[in-house]
Amino acid sequence: MSSPSLLTVSDLTISYQTRRGAVLAVENVSLEIGENQFVAVVGESGCGKSTLALAIIGLLAAPPAKIDSGKIQYKSADLLALDESDRRKYRGTEIAMIFQEPLTSLNPVYKVGDQIAEAIMVREQKDRRMESAGGTAVMQKVYGPKSPALPSRLRIPGSATKARTSAILEALRLVRIADPEQVIDRYPFELSGGMRQRVMIAMALSEKPALLLADEPTTALDVTTQAQVLKLMKTLMSEVKTSILLITHDLAVASQVADRIIVMYAGDLVEDADVYSLFSDPQHPYTRGLLSCVPSGSKKDKELKPIPGFVLEQSKRIVGCKFASRCSQAMDICRQKRPPLVETKPGHRVACFLYGE
Amino acid sequence: MVSEMEDKKSDLILETRNVNKLYPIRRGFNPFARNQPKYVQALNDVSIEVPRGKTVAVVGESGCGKTTLARAVTLLSPPSSGGVIFDGQNLTEGRVNTKALYRKMQMVFQDPDSSLDPRFKVRRLVSEPCSRLLDGGKGAIEERVMQSLEIVGLSEYVDRLPGHLSGGQKQRVAIARAIAIRPELVLLDEPTSALDASVQAQILNLLIELQRDYHLTYLMITHNIAVAEYLSDQLIVMYAGSVVEHGPTASVISKPRHPYTIALISSAPIPNPWKRNLLNIEIRGEVPSAINPPSGCKFHPRCPYAEKICGEQSPGMVEISPGHSVSCHFAEKTA
Repeated sequence: MSSPSLLTVSDLTISYQTRRGAVLAVENVSLEIGENQFVAVVGESGCGKSTLALAIIGLLAAPPAKIDSGKIQYKSADLLALDESDRRKYRGTEIAMIFQEPLTSLNPVYKVGDQIAEAIMVREQKDRRMESAGGTAVMQKVYGPKSPALPSRLRIPGSATKARTSAILEALRLVRIADPEQVIDRYPFELSGGMRQRVMIAMALSEKPALLLADEPTTALDVTTQAQVLKLMKTLMSEVKTSILLITHDLAVASQVADRIIVMYAGDLVEDADVYSLFSDPQHPYTRGLLSCVPSGSKKDKELKPIPGFVLEQSKRIVGCKFASRCSQAMDICRQKRPPLVETKPGHRVACFLYGE
Repeated sequence: MVSEMEDKKSDLILETRNVNKLYPIRRGFNPFARNQPKYVQALNDVSIEVPRGKTVAVVGESGCGKTTLARAVTLLSPPSSGGVIFDGQNLTEGRVNTKALYRKMQMVFQDPDSSLDPRFKVRRLVSEPCSRLLDGGKGAIEERVMQSLEIVGLSEYVDRLPGHLSGGQKQRVAIARAIAIRPELVLLDEPTSALDASVQAQILNLLIELQRDYHLTYLMITHNIAVAEYLSDQLIVMYAGSVVEHGPTASVISKPRHPYTIALISSAPIPNPWKRNLLNIEIRGEVPSAINPPSGCKFHPRCPYAEKICGEQSPGMVEISPGHSVSCHFAEKTA
């Protein structure tokens, strides 16, 4: 990887405790995100991609979720070792997240302007703390055990003072919202789906995060709006110098915007490659199956080849490769041992016994 | 010549003629309110033709009226005006024997979670419409149920509740329920949008198989251009309640002529990192409000080719190549 690493996840295992026992949602996942990189995590529902994102930002509800093992390293901090009040200092201002359905993540009773103002205030507070601590040695002081905690309540209504208003307008202009002066005074229900998602992006970016996690940000949107939002994310990435981790079920969307694609199956990372390498030389049978499932062209030209069978129930402990039961190339070893992730060529990793020794 | 025309007409299993659907907007309780009743025009003079044995796909974005069209055709919410001719019978005139109608016309809905009763087992879910619509004893119906479950590959699941099935299996139950009647026309309202990619491919192939084996006609509602392209013979593009372009699928996809169709097709992400079409598109604005739609052509506020006339007159349908028609004042510019 050419760019320095911003986030390193190593051997992360997360399970959900249910009445019928523990369900492994994420198993031994290791990945790295560089600075100013656009990485997409692709997989079907239940493959653990959202759980992974929630673990990175620290919003997993525990219980039922439990991080069994692993490490999440952000810059120089070990995020999983921090307590909740220290963890909060990273949330929003360092790592931000936008969700699938903007209407449920925006507060329905506050105006759009006030909600963006809140994000800006959080950022201002952090900057002020850094200033008062004096300069560059600040990181340890701010994130150290004795740094001042955030005020328990942020005053939201009327927080849009004149100085702040221009910052809100700027945030809305950044995400290409027409007539930001009017949008500022609207409630979320008065906006269209695409505008709501833009407001969410504006809020997230107002905190100037170094890493933006986007969990299915365009799934609830129409195709023309989806195209606008994806294009916006891609351009903003170079404008504000942030890294993006896009969680999506849509391989086509990922291929359009991402630099690198990580494919997950039933909690496992099965393939991790540069987008061009993944599409020119998909290696894991699941990735290949997924690619031949995406309809393109007419049924007369190209027949779809669905992957047979279903994803196995994850409460069952599986010894071998989780994909073996659906794989046409499965060998005996696939049912006995879990394949390790091996690098088959520079920057292309795959977890399959068909490759490597 | 006349007989040829007749032939062509009788070949249509379904036809709509200038169908309009208006939904009144409920006003608040104000006895002194003087304002005129307002309506949402969900369908505006929609005329479509569905040839027997073919697949016709209706594509468009949310709120464009595609589901309303399906509901109007099935009389689940009958059209406000206009005609729906199914199998030679006008469904908007006089009394319609709905029992007879639904023996020939069935629907598969988008979300199997809301179209399957969670307390019914698969057997009952599939057999209920059969026992209501068809004559014949219990044994005959049971046989049919088992047969259609076998076709969709779920014969081992008759005694399960929907809660114990995966999304794809639930959608198979919904399809089994529709085909158990042996209908002629199946309306598919977003049949795969709730499904994962690998399961979607299974369902699409199942639909193709069923069509081939039972000579079904499909009217499919979808927002997914790739799915429409894969499955359909004819494509209808809707925008804000009106049909803006229709024709043979291959022709519409390869040579779209309405500016909206062009935008829609180029915004559909294609799984190819070397062709990043999404990052080159230029489309502004969003779908207009259905309560106060723009005057003239409804697409003109977003259209790169719009001129004065577009805001004044709504364009008529013009046939630009055999069977391929477009509703645009400047269709020649986009060629």
